[in-house]
Amino acid sequence: MISGFVFRALEGKIVVAIAILLGIAILVPALNLLTPPDSALHIPTYAVSLFGKYLCYALLALALDLVWGYCGILSLGHGAFFALGGYAMGMYLMRQIGSRGVYGNPVLPDFMVFLNWKELPWFWHGFDWFVFAMAMVVVVPGLLAFIFGWFAFRSRVNGVYLSIITQAMTYALLLAFFRNDMGFGGNNGLTDFKDILGFPVQADGTRAVLFAMSAIMLALCLLIASAIVRSKFGKVLVGVRDAESRVRFLGFRVENIKLFTFVVSAMMAGIAGALFVPQVGIINPGEFAPANSIEVVVWTAVGGRGTLVGPIIGAVLVNAGKSFFTGAFPEIWLYALGGLFIAVTLFLPKGIVGTVQHGLKARKAIKAAAEAEKGRDEAAPVVQAQAAE
Amino acid sequence: MTFKAKFAGALLATVMSTTALSGAFAADDTIKIGVLHSLSGTMAISETTLKDVMLMLVEEQNKKGGVLGKKLEAVVVDPASDWPLFAEKARQLISQDKVAAVFGCWTSSSRKSVLPVFEELNSILFYPVQYEGEESSRNIFYTGAAPNQQAIPAVDYLAESEGVQRWVLAGTDYVYPQTTNKILKAYLMSKGVAESDIMVNYTPFGHSDWQTIVSDIKKFGSAGKKTAVVSTINGDANVPFYKELGNQGIKAEDIPVVAFSVGEEELAGLDTKPLVGHLAAWNYFQSVDAEVNADFIKEWKAFTKNDKRVTNDPMEAAYIGFSAWVKAVEAAGTTDTDKVLDSIIGVSVPNLSGGTSTVMPNHHITKPVLIGEIQADGQFEIVQETPAVVGDEWSDYLPDSKNLISDWRKPMSCGNFNVASGKCGGKGS
Amino acid sequence: MTLKSLLQAFLACLILSFAAPSFAQSDPRPLIDALAKADFNEAEKLLGQIAASGDARVVPALNAFAEGDLYFRKSDNLVFIAKTAGSGFELIDPLTGTSAGQAAKNAVTKIKVNNNLRRVIRSAMGGLTLLSPDRAVRLQAADAVLRSPSPENLDLVEAALAKETDKEVKARMEEARAVSVLSSDRSIDEKRAAIETIKNLGGRNSLGILNSVSGSIDAGLKGDLDAAIAAIESEQQLWDMAQNVWYGLSLGSVLLLAAIGLAITFGVMGIINMAHGEMVMLGAYSTFVVQDVIRDNAPNLFDWSLAIALPVAFLVTGAVGLVIERGVIRFLYGRPLETLLATWGVSLILQQTIRSIFGPTNQEVGNPSWMSGSFPVGGMTITWNRMWIILFSMSIFVALLVLLKKSAFGLNMRAVTQNRRMASSMGIRTPWVDAFTFALGSGIAGIAGVALSQIDNVSPNLGQSYIIDSFMVVVFGGVGNLWGTLVGALSLGVLNKFLEPSVGAVLGKILVLVLIILFIQKRPRGLFALKGRAVEA
Repeated sequence: MISGFVFRALEGKIVVAIAILLGIAILVPALNLLTPPDSALHIPTYAVSLFGKYLCYALLALALDLVWGYCGILSLGHGAFFALGGYAMGMYLMRQIGSRGVYGNPVLPDFMVFLNWKELPWFWHGFDWFVFAMAMVVVVPGLLAFIFGWFAFRSRVNGVYLSIITQAMTYALLLAFFRNDMGFGGNNGLTDFKDILGFPVQADGTRAVLFAMSAIMLALCLLIASAIVRSKFGKVLVGVRDAESRVRFLGFRVENIKLFTFVVSAMMAGIAGALFVPQVGIINPGEFAPANSIEVVVWTAVGGRGTLVGPIIGAVLVNAGKSFFTGAFPEIWLYALGGLFIAVTLFLPKGIVGTVQHGLKARKAIKAAAEAEKGRDEAAPVVQAQAAE
Repeated sequence: MTFKAKFAGALLATVMSTTALSGAFAADDTIKIGVLHSLSGTMAISETTLKDVMLMLVEEQNKKGGVLGKKLEAVVVDPASDWPLFAEKARQLISQDKVAAVFGCWTSSSRKSVLPVFEELNSILFYPVQYEGEESSRNIFYTGAAPNQQAIPAVDYLAESEGVQRWVLAGTDYVYPQTTNKILKAYLMSKGVAESDIMVNYTPFGHSDWQTIVSDIKKFGSAGKKTAVVSTINGDANVPFYKELGNQGIKAEDIPVVAFSVGEEELAGLDTKPLVGHLAAWNYFQSVDAEVNADFIKEWKAFTKNDKRVTNDPMEAAYIGFSAWVKAVEAAGTTDTDKVLDSIIGVSVPNLSGGTSTVMPNHHITKPVLIGEIQADGQFEIVQETPAVVGDEWSDYLPDSKNLISDWRKPMSCGNFNVASGKCGGKGS
Repeated sequence: MTLKSLLQAFLACLILSFAAPSFAQSDPRPLIDALAKADFNEAEKLLGQIAASGDARVVPALNAFAEGDLYFRKSDNLVFIAKTAGSGFELIDPLTGTSAGQAAKNAVTKIKVNNNLRRVIRSAMGGLTLLSPDRAVRLQAADAVLRSPSPENLDLVEAALAKETDKEVKARMEEARAVSVLSSDRSIDEKRAAIETIKNLGGRNSLGILNSVSGSIDAGLKGDLDAAIAAIESEQQLWDMAQNVWYGLSLGSVLLLAAIGLAITFGVMGIINMAHGEMVMLGAYSTFVVQDVIRDNAPNLFDWSLAIALPVAFLVTGAVGLVIERGVIRFLYGRPLETLLATWGVSLILQQTIRSIFGPTNQEVGNPSWMSGSFPVGGMTITWNRMWIILFSMSIFVALLVLLKKSAFGLNMRAVTQNRRMASSMGIRTPWVDAFTFALGSGIAGIAGVALSQIDNVSPNLGQSYIIDSFMVVVFGGVGNLWGTLVGALSLGVLNKFLEPSVGAVLGKILVLVLIILFIQKRPRGLFALKGRAVEA
C-alpha cells in the first residue's frame, strides 16, 4: 500500500529531481572535503553553506507550492512556520552552548543572563534534548498551522482574505518575537552556536553533512509532496483549488482537506527552517517579516507553481541571483529583483518549469490554456501536472 | 526528460561558478578591504552614509600613497538589511574576496550574525556604531560608544546641570535600549533615585503614533520634580516622536529629552526650531570646533558633491577605526590578521573632536563624551565635554557582568575574564 | 574643573562682588559684558543680578541670549546682539539697540546657552515684561511666571497686578501671583487662597506646581493641598478619557488616509496592490519637492506649500498609477493573486528609484505655521496637525463618496467593477475606466502622502510602514465598501489607543492583529460585507 503510494509519486521529472538532489548530496560534500583546495573541482566551504541555504529556501518554496499550487491557499505567512522551525533548532543549539557562553552560565543563554533572568522559562525546557527539539521543529509550526487553519477553513475564509490574515499572523509573530520579554533573544535572536550533536557547527565536515541533510530532506519532502498530489487525495486537492464549492457539494469535507495540506506544508517549512539555522548561524525575528514570506511566493511563481520541481528551481535561481547582484551590483539589485517579479508575472505566468512543459507539449498545452483562460479566475496554472504528463 | 536534466545540471553549474568566480581576479598590487553596509532595505537609511565614508577614506588614503606601498581597494557588498545575508556576505568577503579587514554592520543583530564568521575565518571587523556592550570578540573592534561612553555621562549631566530627579527611560523594544535602560536604572538607583521616579516605556520599531506616550510623559512630569526623558528610540521612530513633542508644546526647558540615537543625520529630516535645547550624547558632533574636523567636513561635502550633507558620530567612529587599522597595518608591516591584532592594541590615532583615541586591549577605544543641545539649524551646541573615556564592554551595573573584563593581549587573550574567580570564560568555575 | 577655570570663576566672582552693587541700579552693561567669559553657573548668577536690576532695557539682550544671538567680540570681549548680514554679522548694542558696525564671523564668538539658562531667562523676562505696554507681551509674561514660579517675581507680579486693567491679563496674573505665593514665605491664609486659585485653574501644570511644594508646605496647609491635588487629578482623569478617544480618532484618521486609496485599488478593483505604500511615499516626496522649490524661490508662500503640494501629488502619483496600470496590471485582470507579485516588484523598483534620486536618508518636510503647535480644550491638548489631518481625511472620504455615487465616472466605475461584460456592452470603454480608476486610487494615496509627510518620516521606507496596516483596515472593514474602510480605520484606531495605556504599544499592536484574525473568522468578509451575487464571484 505504502509502496504503491510512493511508486505513484515517481513521475518523470520528480525522479530526475530526486536523483539530482541525492547526487549533489554526495557529490558536493565529497568535492568539498576530499579535493585539495587548489583543485579545479574543489568546492569551497563558503559555496557549500551558501548552496545549503538555497536548498533550505527551496524546501520552503516546495512547502508553499503544496498549499498554493495544489490547494489554492496563497499563504503569505509561510515565513512564520519556517522561522518557528528555525527557532526550535536555535533553542536546541543555544542549550548546547552550555557553560561556554560569555558569562559561563551553564543553563541560561547569554541574552537571558545580561537581561537578568534568573531561571529558564518553562518553554525552554526539553530543548537540550535533540529528539525533543527535532520533534518541536515539526510540532510547533504544525500546531500553529492546525489552530490557524482549523478556524480559518471552518469559517470558509479564503482567497485574498486568507492571504491577508496569514500576513497578519506572521506580522504579529514578528512583533512578538521582537520583544525581549518573550524570552527568545529579542531582535538579536539566537546566535553564536557552538555545536550540534557534539560536532562543531563551524567545521567543514559538519557543514558538508548539513548540506547533505538539506539535499536529502528536500528530496524526501519532494517525494512526500509528489505522493500526496498524485494520490486520490491529490486529485480532490486540485478539485478544491479549482472549484471548491463543487467539491464540497460532492460530499468532501473541504476544510479537512485544506487543513491536512496546510499542516503538512507548515511542517515542511519548519524542517526547512531547522536546517537553515545551523548553516547560517543565526535565527532572529527578521525571518518573520512579511516581505520574506512574499519573496517565497515569488520564488514559487518564478519556478512555476503547481509543479513541485519548479519552486525548487525558482528558489535556487532567485537566491543565486540575489547573492550575485548584492555582491556585484549592490545599487541595482532591487531593480533587477523588481523587474524579475514583473517580467515573470507578465511573460511567464506559469513559471519556468510550467513554460518549459508548455513548450514541450505545445499543442496540447495551448489548447488547455485556452480553455483555462475561459475558465475561472484563480485557476491560472491549469496546465497542471496531469495535463502536462 | 534529458532536456530537464541538462537544464537542472546547467543551473547548478552556473550557480556554483558565479558564486565562486567573482573573487578570482584579485590583483596582487592592491589591498582589499570589505565594506559591509546595507544599501537597501530598512537600514539603508543609516548605513549608506557609512559606505560612502569608507569609500572616501579609501580614496584619501590612496592619494596619500595607500598602505604598505599598495593601493587600497574597497569591496562593497549589499547585505540588504537581512541578518543572515550579513553572515553570507561576510563569508564571501573573507574567503573569496580575501579582504584584509571588513568595516561594517550597524544593528547589533547584524554584528551578532557575522561574529561567528569572523572568529571562524579569523578576520577583522570594525564596528562603528554605539551598542549595548556585553560582548568582546577577538576579531571585532568596537569603535562606537559602549553604554558608559554615552548614556551614563548624559544622565550625570542632566542630574547635575539641570537638577533632574525624575526619569523617563523611553526606547524602542529591542536589545540595545533594554540593556542600556537596565544599566541606567541600576545606575540611577545606585545614586539614590527612587524606583517610583523612573518610568520605563517601550515602543515597536518604526512607531509613528506618539500621542499617548508623549502625553504620558507630560503626566509623569507633573509630579512636581524636574523630569527628563532618556531616549533610546531607534532612528526611524524619532522624527514622529520629536514632531509630537514639538506640537504638544513640550519644551526642552520643561522636560528635556536626551537621545542616544539622534544625530545630525536624523535631524536633517526635521524642522528643529521647536526642539531647540533637547539634548543628545555622542562622542562627536559636526559642530566640534577643531581643525581636523573642519577638514573632514570639507572633504565629505566635496566627496558627496552635496553642500548640505552632514557628518555624524558613526562616521567619526568609522574614521577612527580606519585610521587605527591603517596605522596598525603599517606598524605590523603586513595585513596578516594575527599580526595586525597584536599591533593594533595601544595604537593612538587622532579623532575628529580634536583629541586622540586609543585602541584598548578590550577592543574598545577611548574617546570623549560630548553632550550637545539641538540648535535651530539642525546642529548641536556642545554644552559639556568629558575627558576621554575607555569603552567598558562589561557593564559595572549589571550583576552578571560586573566581575568580567576583557584583555586580548597575550598571555591573557580573553574576552570574558572573571576577576573574582581569576579564570577566563564568564563564571570561570 | 581645571585650575584655569577655577581662576576664571574666582575672577568672575570678584568682578561681580565689586561690580554688581555699584552698577546694578544704574547700568547693567558690565553685567552683560561679564557674560562673555562666564561659564553656565556664573552666567546663571549674572542673570539673577540682571533680572534684579529691574531694568527693562535688558529685555532685548536677554531675548537674544535665549535665542543664541548674543556674541562677544574677541578683540575687546564686549557683548553684542549679532544678526547675520552677508558673510558676517551686524553687531547691535545690547542695551540701546543701535548698530555697532559689522564683524567677520571669526571675529566674534557665540555665548553658549543651555536649557537651564533659558529657563532662568524666561523667568526673568516674565518679571521684566509684566509692565509692558503691549497687552500680548504682558500676557506672555504672566504665562512665563506661571510656568516657572519663583518667589523673586512675587513683588513684580503684585506691582503689575495693581496697574493691570485688562480682564484676561489680570486673571492670568492672579494665577501667576498664586503660584509665586506658594513658594514664598507669605502667610498661611494667603497661601490657602493661592491653593484655591490654582485648584480652579486646573490642568497638568497646576498639578506639577502643587506637587512640587507638597514637601515644603506648612503643616497646616497639607490637607488643603492634598484635597486640591486630588480634585485636579480626578478632573484630569475624565479629560484623559476624552484625550484617549481623540488620540484614537486621530490614529484612525491616519489609518483611513493610508487605506482609502487602497480601498479603491484593492477594494473596488480587486488588485492586491502592494505598491500602494509607495504611492503614499511618492505623494510625500512630491510635498518635499514642492517645499524645496518654494523655499528657494518664494519663501513667503511656505504656508501654502501643502495646498500647492496636494494637486501636484495627486497628478504625479495618479500619472504613475496610470503608467503602472497600462504597463503591468491590465494584463493581470482576473488573476488577483498575481497582481500581488507584479505590484510587489513595482514597489521594489519605485523604492529604489526614490533612493537613487533623493538618497536613502530622511528628507525634511516642514510644518506650515498653521499645522504647528497645539491648543487646549479643557484639560486636554489638541495639536493642530492632528486636527487638520482628521478634517482632511474626512473630507477626502466625503469627496470620494460623492465622486463614486454622484458622478458619471463613478457610475461607469461601479458598472465596470460589478459586471465588466455588461458594462462593455453598454458602450463603456472598460479599459479606460480601469486605468482611471487605478489612477484615482493612486492619486488619493498620493494626497494621503502629503498629509502623512506632516507626521512621519519622509524616506524611501515610508510606504512599507503603512502597507500592512492599510490592508488590515480594508479587509477588516470589508472589501469593496468605503464605509467599511471608514468604520474599520476609526475603530482600529480607537481600539489601539485604548489598549496602549494598559498593555503597552507593542503588545497592543499584537493584540489588535490577533483580534483582526479572530474577527475575520467570525465574519470572513469583513465588517461591511458586500451582499448579493458579487460575493461568490
